[in-house]
Amino acid sequence: MAAEPARQWTEEQLKSEEVAKKDIIQFLQQSASEPFLGEHKLMGNIKNVAKTAKKEQLIVAYNQLFETKRFRGTESVEKVAQQLKDVKLGAGQDKAKAKIPEVTSNEEPPKYTKSVLQKGDKTNFPKKGDTVHCWYTGTLEDGTVFDTNVASSSKKKKSVKPLSFKVGIGKVIRGWDEALLTMSKGEKARLQIESDWGYGKKGKPEAKIPPNAQLIFEVELVDIE
Amino acid sequence: MALEELQGVIERCRGLPETEFKEEDHSIFQTTACQCLEEGHAAKLLEILQDEKNKDFVICMGWNCVGPIVSCALKDEQEPEYRENCLKILDHVVQISNPKELLVGLLEQIEEAFGNNISKTILLLLQPLQTVLLKMKHKKAYSVGLSLATIQSQLSQLPVPYTTEQRKQDDYELCKCCMAVISFIKPFVDEVNRATKSKQNPSCNELKEELLKFCMKSLEYPLLTAQLHPLTEEIEDNSLRTFATEILVYLLAMGESLPVLMVHQLLQSRKTLREIDPLKEDVKYPTNSLASLAYLLFVQHIGIDQFPALYSPGYFLLFNMEYIAALISRTEESVLSKGLELFEHCLLTIEDNNLSHKYLEMKNILGIPQDLVKVMTLCPIEHLRKSSLKLFQQYIDKFDSEGKYKLFRCLLKTTQHAGVQGYIIQNLKNQVDLALKPGNKIMWFSGPQLMPLLHTVLSLPEGAETDLLQNSDRIMASLNLLRYLVIRDNEWENQTGLWTDLFWIESFLKPLRTGLNMSRAHYEAEMRAKRENRKIKEAPNRETQCSLTVGGKKLPKMTTAMELEVLQSAIYTFDVMESVQARIEELIEPKIKSRAEDKNVANEAS
Repeated sequence: MAAEPARQWTEEQLKSEEVAKKDIIQFLQQSASEPFLGEHKLMGNIKNVAKTAKKEQLIVAYNQLFETKRFRGTESVEKVAQQLKDVKLGAGQDKAKAKIPEVTSNEEPPKYTKSVLQKGDKTNFPKKGDTVHCWYTGTLEDGTVFDTNVASSSKKKKSVKPLSFKVGIGKVIRGWDEALLTMSKGEKARLQIESDWGYGKKGKPEAKIPPNAQLIFEVELVDIE
Repeated sequence: MALEELQGVIERCRGLPETEFKEEDHSIFQTTACQCLEEGHAAKLLEILQDEKNKDFVICMGWNCVGPIVSCALKDEQEPEYRENCLKILDHVVQISNPKELLVGLLEQIEEAFGNNISKTILLLLQPLQTVLLKMKHKKAYSVGLSLATIQSQLSQLPVPYTTEQRKQDDYELCKCCMAVISFIKPFVDEVNRATKSKQNPSCNELKEELLKFCMKSLEYPLLTAQLHPLTEEIEDNSLRTFATEILVYLLAMGESLPVLMVHQLLQSRKTLREIDPLKEDVKYPTNSLASLAYLLFVQHIGIDQFPALYSPGYFLLFNMEYIAALISRTEESVLSKGLELFEHCLLTIEDNNLSHKYLEMKNILGIPQDLVKVMTLCPIEHLRKSSLKLFQQYIDKFDSEGKYKLFRCLLKTTQHAGVQGYIIQNLKNQVDLALKPGNKIMWFSGPQLMPLLHTVLSLPEGAETDLLQNSDRIMASLNLLRYLVIRDNEWENQTGLWTDLFWIESFLKPLRTGLNMSRAHYEAEMRAKRENRKIKEAPNRETQCSLTVGGKKLPKMTTAMELEVLQSAIYTFDVMESVQARIEELIEPKIKSRAEDKNVANEAS
């Protein structure tokens, strides 16, 4: 086991210009366990992480790392999954009985990809159970629009309100539940969702979605409650 | 002469303020107008009423004409020209007379119509009624509501066409009336639509409430009992399908959101009693209306492009369960079949083995299969029984293993029907078979979890006294399961727990053997007795202990030959049971012997 890394900066140093975001990120990427990095959205190219993360967030993460001691090599992936599961079970027992069953496994690789078209405020992220309001357009791989709530010039009469629903609890297709939790208020993104996290083998005939269809959505997260 | 009397009344009242009109003046005017029309003076009457000098009179009294005109116009043998004059009078009166009284007069006519006149009156008076309502400033919403209620209550007396022939002919003109009503309410819907968009004008809320009430009522009648599958041949746009489409368009135009409506019942059922105001909530969005809407959207795809295609298949099933439950608990074919179709539709998007057992904790999810059992066993309509059986199996297939397990346990406990029990036991056998296949570690159908189910299934409900014939479906299924297990699960592997304590010998095989012996003896004795009776050709005074009537006709008594046939077939059933039992006993004999021997060896050793 590697020796525990030492704190090389004081609070003042961290907050000052002396320590750049990139420095903190580099340190964290070297010292923290993968699950830790994943949770704090610190994985990937340092430049990109620096773009999306605020310094305050990095300082918080830095401090948390030393508090929780989740250094590289101390955590197995399974342990984290178990922790998450325990949290979920506890939460589930507290809530009222009539709730939709939550997706139990968090360890599958995500079956969707997201490309951000317009950045959000990067501070307000929806949590599971929050109500989100979205504009969206859904297309199939061949470009057919199968659903949208964006008011268009077409003769279709659409409601003037964005779609609202409680996110992260299984009310919508899994691709949406997972992707929306990663979006911040005001963000507009393009989601490509594999059929497994969409409508799978059965498709949804009345919406013109064939079986095993990959779904492409342009989603704008307008508000979170 | 009526005309002169009429003119007399008018002259008398000319120049007088309305308050000084006497009671009799109203009735005189009405009767004379009536007589005039009957005597064929419609043209003259029209002239009088159109006279500028008489304008004030017509404004106050004109509404009295409505009754006579309607009865005149509805006469079958009316000459077209004459009828036209009547309509002109009506039109004129409607244009200038007081809307308040006119409304009363018109609605009275609609209310009093009966039989074939219902549709005729409505078709005649919708246009004038609309004109009157549009003229009203105060209390418009109330008046619109009143009118719609009156029209609806009259229309609900007309039978809803169901067969293709009925739909094409529309004998009672229900479809025609419905389409006419759609045009009738359009200006009011437009008004609400404008107000909703501009977010002003709170008084439009009342109008919206009334129109919403009407839409909800229409969803229930006639749409819930109508046959809405598209006809294969082209028919004019006079079908109830078009009516349904327009209702949906209006709902959207008034600002209602389809997803919100669909989820309404689910959210309602989750609220505590304290949160709901039972008087308000239920009335605004009645379950039956929403159920009808769900059917229109998801089965007939009317308006489906306005419904987001985002909901997970599980959630989609969940909120529709409320409506499915409401529909399949009804007995009318038109409603019940809609419920089954909606259910089928919801199951379509769910993959087999994908529905989590956790769903079973939710209301209705467990109740629905029990309702299906009722339909399967009690519904007099064959194709509905078959559909519900098919859906029953599909539903079982959707659940994951734990779900199936819980479902089997619940259903075996709650249903007394031997056929259904047999069916579930067959399902159980299939699941055990699946679980025993190598690499398929399913803990719910092999191992200790299986025990309680086996205990339930490998037993006779009333021991040796069980009616074997009544329960033959269940017993045969259990025997087949037992035979399968005895062959498939080796004693030394004991994956199903079958060999742990052999309870099933005491609880199932032994009482079955006893039961079979007793029943067989009984039936064979009956047969002998019958045959001997036969030999005595003179068998007078055979008392009829009971007679059977089906559909009003008394069934003839069974002949002895028929009775013998029945007894014989019972004995065949026993034969079949016995043969399977014998086979099982054959298979287990060596195993039991070796067990006994092992025991002895163990005893000796100790």
